[in-house]
Amino acid sequence: MITVDRLTVSYGAFTAVDDVSFVAQPGRVTGFLGPNGAGKSTTMRVMVGLTPPTRGQATIGGLRYHDIPNPGRHVGALLDAGAQHAGRTGREILTIGAQTMGLPRTRVDEMLELVGLTDAEARRRLRNYSLGMKQRLGIAHALLGDPSVLILDEPANGLDPAGIRWMRGLLKGYADRGGTVLLSSHLLHEVEQIADEMILIGHGRIVAQGDRKTLLERAGNAAVTLVTSLDNAALATALTGAGHAVEPAGEGLKAHATTEEVGRAALTAGVVLTDLRSGGAGLEDLFLELTSETARDAVPGVAVPTGGTPA
Amino acid sequence: MSTTAPVTLDLSKSGPTPFSRLVKVEWRKMVDTRGGLWLMGITAGLLLLVMALVVLVVGLNDGRVDGNDLSQVFTIPVSLLLPVFAILTVTSEWSQRTALASFTLEPHRGRVILAKLVAVSALAVATIVVAFVVGAVTNVLCALVTDNPLAWNLDLSTLVWIVISQLAFFAMGFALACLMLNTPGAISVFYVVALLMPLMVWSTLYAIFDWAKDVLPWIDINTAITPLTTDGYDIIGEPVDVGLVNYVQGVWTLVLWVGIPVTLGMWRILRAEVK
Repeated sequence: MITVDRLTVSYGAFTAVDDVSFVAQPGRVTGFLGPNGAGKSTTMRVMVGLTPPTRGQATIGGLRYHDIPNPGRHVGALLDAGAQHAGRTGREILTIGAQTMGLPRTRVDEMLELVGLTDAEARRRLRNYSLGMKQRLGIAHALLGDPSVLILDEPANGLDPAGIRWMRGLLKGYADRGGTVLLSSHLLHEVEQIADEMILIGHGRIVAQGDRKTLLERAGNAAVTLVTSLDNAALATALTGAGHAVEPAGEGLKAHATTEEVGRAALTAGVVLTDLRSGGAGLEDLFLELTSETARDAVPGVAVPTGGTPA
Repeated sequence: MSTTAPVTLDLSKSGPTPFSRLVKVEWRKMVDTRGGLWLMGITAGLLLLVMALVVLVVGLNDGRVDGNDLSQVFTIPVSLLLPVFAILTVTSEWSQRTALASFTLEPHRGRVILAKLVAVSALAVATIVVAFVVGAVTNVLCALVTDNPLAWNLDLSTLVWIVISQLAFFAMGFALACLMLNTPGAISVFYVVALLMPLMVWSTLYAIFDWAKDVLPWIDINTAITPLTTDGYDIIGEPVDVGLVNYVQGVWTLVLWVGIPVTLGMWRILRAEVK
């Protein structure tokens, strides 16, 4: 369990983390979301004692990180996959970690196999690694000590789609076995499929937190449906008649109604639907709205369909 | 990881990291990169070159050498490049950003730095052992080439002072590295202060000016400890009376170039934010 309690980190007049409190529970994946520079990495560095807090504290299992004996056996951290000696091989980097924690050599082979780095790849020097390989190595390094808490800063960065899917499965299984997982991202869709709990941070402050459902409720009842039919004009008339706002969107329509309401309207009007899906930009809208004041690029209007990537 | 969700950590599965393990890890980190291998390789080459030169010169002149002569000659190659290890072990944590992993696995940063100092000191002593082994082989070769009898005589005090001065210069490199946390900076300052200035500036000033004879032993380690290591000769080879003041100067220059920078450096390392 990770507990962050009224944490503030200031650099002179600039406040990177501003009075942040949250708890990452065991058995759950907690997503830590926010645009670049929101204070995610700083918060994570405080958790593992690399950055001194200005006020407040972060504890893991009730202990300050400094007070955990051999902390690598309890907390696995991946803060920056590139922060390893460029001249060491992947295997050597893991061996040093294993030796520091007092683990047997066999653990290195197990971890290499787990993250899918081949023997030949493990013999290469880090400077010849792709970003995706570095991430895999970093995840292996974090898992070396069989920790019960994982702290991962942008772990999906540089992974290909198959790699991202693999990592999701890995972390999900890890949490299901009772582990605590905190992972950060600036991409909502990366996190929303895996996180049981989400913490949205912008400009050093927590702007929203909760599970997907709670967050969506907060986003308001703004159901949006994207629909395409063989007769869009007739469908639009039917929907407007039923009291739903409609606007054209690409080849089809965007209706401010639930998918069920649109389906019923189509049934009544006798229009054949060729595509019907939730425009559920709700969470994404919320994410952008809550963080837009603080993001580098303001988002005018906040009307981004699904699949877009925020700031 | 247990099947029930642990709210607190199961501390029974880990004791504190023993210091000896940290030393072993730091030793490994010194020698497991290409940079480290190159430094070792070049030093080995220098040792062999010196061996060949000594055998050649002794053979051509039908000369005689003993343990004391050889120990002076063979400590030069191992004191030239190897102090870089003492610098890199600290600065590479910052330049390669491995401090992130090192200080996450052992958050008591002082222990990590102390483990590095122990590893570096062990290396300094090991290099002297290697130098003596190569020196001994050279001695045998010289005797074979010239048919002169083998002379092993080596004063214990000479040996002790060789080890002390090697440790002193390694410690100085280490201290400057802690202070600067920057590889090129620490290496440049080290070589200017430890090698270039004594060789090109201090010795000249020392030979010409009387004031330099009074001032320099208070600011340069080499000038200060040479009368002690050579048992009564200063850096330009003139006899001096060794007294308490020489020991005070030796200790003071170590405070100046090791004690002060390492203290300031540790203060910085313990407080620094590691990114």
